[in-house]
Amino acid sequence: MPAPSSHSPPVLSRRQFLATVGALWLGAGFGIHPTPAAAFDPQRLRQSMQQQYGQAGLSVLEEWFSLLQQLQNKDVQAQLRGVNDFFNRRIRWIDDIQVWGQEDYWATPLEAMGKGQGDCEDYSIAKYITLKQLGVTSRYLRMIYVRARIGRSQITQAHMVLGYYSAPDAEPLVLDNIVPSITPASQRTDLDPLFSFNSDGLWAGGSSESRADPLARLSRWRSVIERMQTQGFL
Amino acid sequence: MSLIKQLWLAIIALLLLSFVGSLAVSIASSRHYIEQAVRIKNEDTATALALSMSQLDKDLVTLELLVAAQFDTGYYQQITLRDTDGSVLIERSANEYTGDVPAWFRQLIAFDVPSGVATIQDGWRQFGTLELESQHSFAYASLWRSTLELAAWFLLAGAISLAIATMVVRGIKHPLSRVVAQAQDISARRFTTIKEPRTLELRQVTQAMNVLSANVHQMLTQESHKLDELRRHLQHDRVTGALNRDVFMGKFAAQLSSDDARATGMLVMVRVQALETLNEQLGHATTDGLLRTLVSQLGQLDGEAPEPVVGRLNGSDFILLLPHADDVEQLSQHVTKALADVSATAPVAVYLPTAIVPYAPHDERGTLLATLDDALAQAESLSTHKQIVIRHRERVSLYSSHAEWRAELAAAIHAGPELAYFPVIDAQGEILHYECPARLKLAGEWQTAGIFIPWITRFDMESALDLAVVKKALTNLNTDLKPVGVNLSAASITNTQFVNELRALLEAQPSLAKQLCFEVPATLSTHAIGSLRGLCAALRPLGCTFGIEHVGAEFTKLADLHDVGLAYLKMDNSLIHHINTSTNQQTIVRGMATLCHSLGIQVIGEGVADNEELMCLFLVGVDGATGPGVRQPV
Repeated sequence: MPAPSSHSPPVLSRRQFLATVGALWLGAGFGIHPTPAAAFDPQRLRQSMQQQYGQAGLSVLEEWFSLLQQLQNKDVQAQLRGVNDFFNRRIRWIDDIQVWGQEDYWATPLEAMGKGQGDCEDYSIAKYITLKQLGVTSRYLRMIYVRARIGRSQITQAHMVLGYYSAPDAEPLVLDNIVPSITPASQRTDLDPLFSFNSDGLWAGGSSESRADPLARLSRWRSVIERMQTQGFL
Repeated sequence: MSLIKQLWLAIIALLLLSFVGSLAVSIASSRHYIEQAVRIKNEDTATALALSMSQLDKDLVTLELLVAAQFDTGYYQQITLRDTDGSVLIERSANEYTGDVPAWFRQLIAFDVPSGVATIQDGWRQFGTLELESQHSFAYASLWRSTLELAAWFLLAGAISLAIATMVVRGIKHPLSRVVAQAQDISARRFTTIKEPRTLELRQVTQAMNVLSANVHQMLTQESHKLDELRRHLQHDRVTGALNRDVFMGKFAAQLSSDDARATGMLVMVRVQALETLNEQLGHATTDGLLRTLVSQLGQLDGEAPEPVVGRLNGSDFILLLPHADDVEQLSQHVTKALADVSATAPVAVYLPTAIVPYAPHDERGTLLATLDDALAQAESLSTHKQIVIRHRERVSLYSSHAEWRAELAAAIHAGPELAYFPVIDAQGEILHYECPARLKLAGEWQTAGIFIPWITRFDMESALDLAVVKKALTNLNTDLKPVGVNLSAASITNTQFVNELRALLEAQPSLAKQLCFEVPATLSTHAIGSLRGLCAALRPLGCTFGIEHVGAEFTKLADLHDVGLAYLKMDNSLIHHINTSTNQQTIVRGMATLCHSLGIQVIGEGVADNEELMCLFLVGVDGATGPGVRQPV
């Protein structure tokens, strides 16, 4: 085998260096920031997972990738079921305060899968993102704040579920982690819906524009969206 | 473009750039901030409103009340509630409030804020979508006000900056123009010296030019001293320092034939009796000392001239020329006293018979000398202690008393002088200018300066006369535009009032002023040179030129004239007389001409008698000539 020709390390001439620095400086001045690739990027996801949770996390991620592969061209019902089951099985329901040391922390799917633990909204976000990735339009998906009665007791708890609306004014299907199977909303008498939202207007269209806005980062939604973008989901 | 203009342009451009730039940046960042705030407010209000509606019965009246309550705060442009199909259920919208913000400003700013959107939930189902837009007029108005305020502050800051810049520019401009003036002076061979400016670069330039001027001054001083030594060697008696006979006779002839005040005066001749006997008695050294004392005492009798004209006619005869002197009795007393002092220094009795003879314009030199000899012989025969013989001359005085003289002179000056025209030509025979001595009409005739100048001087009327002469010259220039040389007395140029009047006179007719040359006599004090320098500087912009007349070989002030800016120097007839036969004179004149040329000063010979002298003058480097031998070119 011929020896690899030794390349001299690329040395910038003084003029090139100055020109580059000048261009960068000008670019920074005019607000042209190098935007991170806003797209689904499996390679970047693997890197992020490897860095943060090591081999164990990486194997869960690979399972997730194969799930995506399996459900790719299935009908919506099958997709909903598959996704719901995947996360209900992989993630243990534990309060944020124990997992993250915060009262209320919205984790990205990668963080949830990496830890293998999560709170109600972590399930909802992970399912939402996965379904979106499978091609379900966000119009049909809404995160719903609900009041939940646990078991037969009268204790109520703030909870969040993912609703699938076949039409805007239709009764949704509820993807929940308390009751593992998918049921129509009307059968869930243990849940009282209060308010719902989805990511419309947050990242639909040119949402990356608002990333530079320091005030916008206060929003939990935006914060989790931003983290997902750096990790490679969006 | 001048440096100062460039400086101003740069300052104004910088100010504009920085002010317009900071105004634009400030408006842009305010706009951005306001957009963010409104956007958050839109989203926030929409969510809050949708949240409260979600909890209520979906009764349209209740919902409308809620929307109206929110809308009526006045901060909203539009609030719309749509059902899930997108058809409008409730809508409230307001007119665009314009306020006092100009339309162009609104178009320029054009806030771009997305409306706040939130979904209302009815149980598990979605009820509708709430869309909300804020009223932007308040934002426009506040941004407009703050822009106006900023602009006002910037105007104020700009005015202050301009004021500071004015001071700075003036601080640069003033010394700069002085340096430029000095450089121009030097290029015109006026080697002036100025105060060093504080700016470093200008100071270095000024230092260099000042050193140059000082060097030129030093060089000139050395050269004129050399010339002076040469002259002493050639023209003076080795023992006593008195002028040689020929030189004295030349000077005497020049004064007699001159047309001005110098043509009137006294001659004092002293004979050292029995000089040979004295030599034997006292020895050569003591006798020489005695003679030197005599010459210096005689010289002191002339209090006016910087170098008194004392000549040694032969071994024992000494003669003193006193131009301007007219009081015989007083002179006689002074001479007696001076001679007594001389006698007192000698260890033996010394007899100094003396003759005093006045002279007047157009007297014959030979006759005067014969009269002197005769008087001296008579004095020698006197056996009294006081051996002075005075030959009174029948003075043809026009008027008998001082009061009459004064009145008549004032009247004559008032009536106006007349100018005589004598051409001054250069080597090519072209006219340089005309020398114009004044004539005054006294006792019904036009009299030359020699007649009236002594009286003018006595009555301090020089300034009045000079001013009248300048006026007359200007009047003549109106009809005949040939360059005219006018005499100014030293008394006039040191007189501030005269200088001011002269300046006003010339400024009134600037086109004629260019044709005027002013000449001052060479008998200038240092004070008068200073005044001359000021006068030259003041009148140079008008185009007048200045010269010095009657410059003799003894003139050693040349070095002091290096920064005056003279146009020419007129050499006394004593230097010119018979120059074609005297190599010594040629050497001296050539030296003076060379020195003057190095200062950019022309040299003109006075009293040229014939063509031989004229040719010789031009050969030794003189630039112009005047006198009886110079004729008007045809």
